[in-house]
Amino acid sequence: MNKIIVLLMVVCVFAINTAHAERTPAPKDAQVYIVWPADGAVIHGGKLWVRMGLRGAGVAPKGADKPHVGHHHLIVDAELPPMDEAIPSDRNYLHFGGGQTEARLEGLSPGKHTLQLLMGDHDHVPHDPPLYSKKITITVPPY
Amino acid sequence: MRKLFISTIATLIGLSIIWQVTAAERTPAPKDAYLYIGWPNDGEVIPANRPFRVWFGLRHMGVAPKDVDAPFTGHHHLVIDRDLPPFDQEIPSDRNFLHFGSGQTETMIELPAGKHTLQLLMGDHNHIPHDPPIYSKKITIDVR
Ligand SMILES: [Cu+2]
Ligand SMILES: [Cu+2]
Repeated sequence: MNKIIVLLMVVCVFAINTAHAERTPAPKDAQVYIVWPADGAVIHGGKLWVRMGLRGAGVAPKGADKPHVGHHHLIVDAELPPMDEAIPSDRNYLHFGGGQTEARLEGLSPGKHTLQLLMGDHDHVPHDPPLYSKKITITVPPY
Repeated sequence: MRKLFISTIATLIGLSIIWQVTAAERTPAPKDAYLYIGWPNDGEVIPANRPFRVWFGLRHMGVAPKDVDAPFTGHHHLVIDRDLPPFDQEIPSDRNFLHFGSGQTETMIELPAGKHTLQLLMGDHNHIPHDPPIYSKKITIDVR
């Protein structure tokens, strides 16, 4: 029984190491941040351009496997996803695989919304260490 | 004389073919692509001898490192104290024409006291401006 547990542990550690090894390394001093809007901003009409900022790394379209690059993902009203798999793609997790550095949002309902950026590599997997911004909250007044 | 005339015509046709091929090599850009300097603002006063950040703004188009040939992408070039270069050849690379071939979307620069102009110009995977060329308004900053 003990032997099986030890064996399972070895297999698990091996599996974790393998999964980690696949993640693209990020420069240690890289930083992703939301240039605009500011945390707490009031957005009339529920539409805006989100400016996506990146320091110490570069932007590349999906599929371009070069060192120290990635593409932006904008997370709207959701939490950070697991860091060891491809970032989901739906209305809460927007991919900018064309190398875009600004995101157009329209039709945000009145109320509070959260925005957060997360970089993904050529396969949409977060880097190691992951590059994500502070999560900000914006308010859309009734319209 | 007639022979000379024909060979001149032939040369002209040849040249126009070469010219068209060269022209065709420029990478198309989306018609609504919009490039601008997010910061500093036109007329901004900036403290001398201190690095400051220049933020590159781009809409309806994407950023790609040099050598990455993806549709509707390019990399940023910052033109300092110069006019725009010719659009049908590689953007020069020196202290007045900075290339951001790693896909950077902002930079830190330091300039001596005085008035300086800044302008952005996109270049394709070969550092050649797109067709149509995508460039920002030229701004003037006051470093003192
Ligand atoms: Cu992605
Ligand atoms: Cu270039």
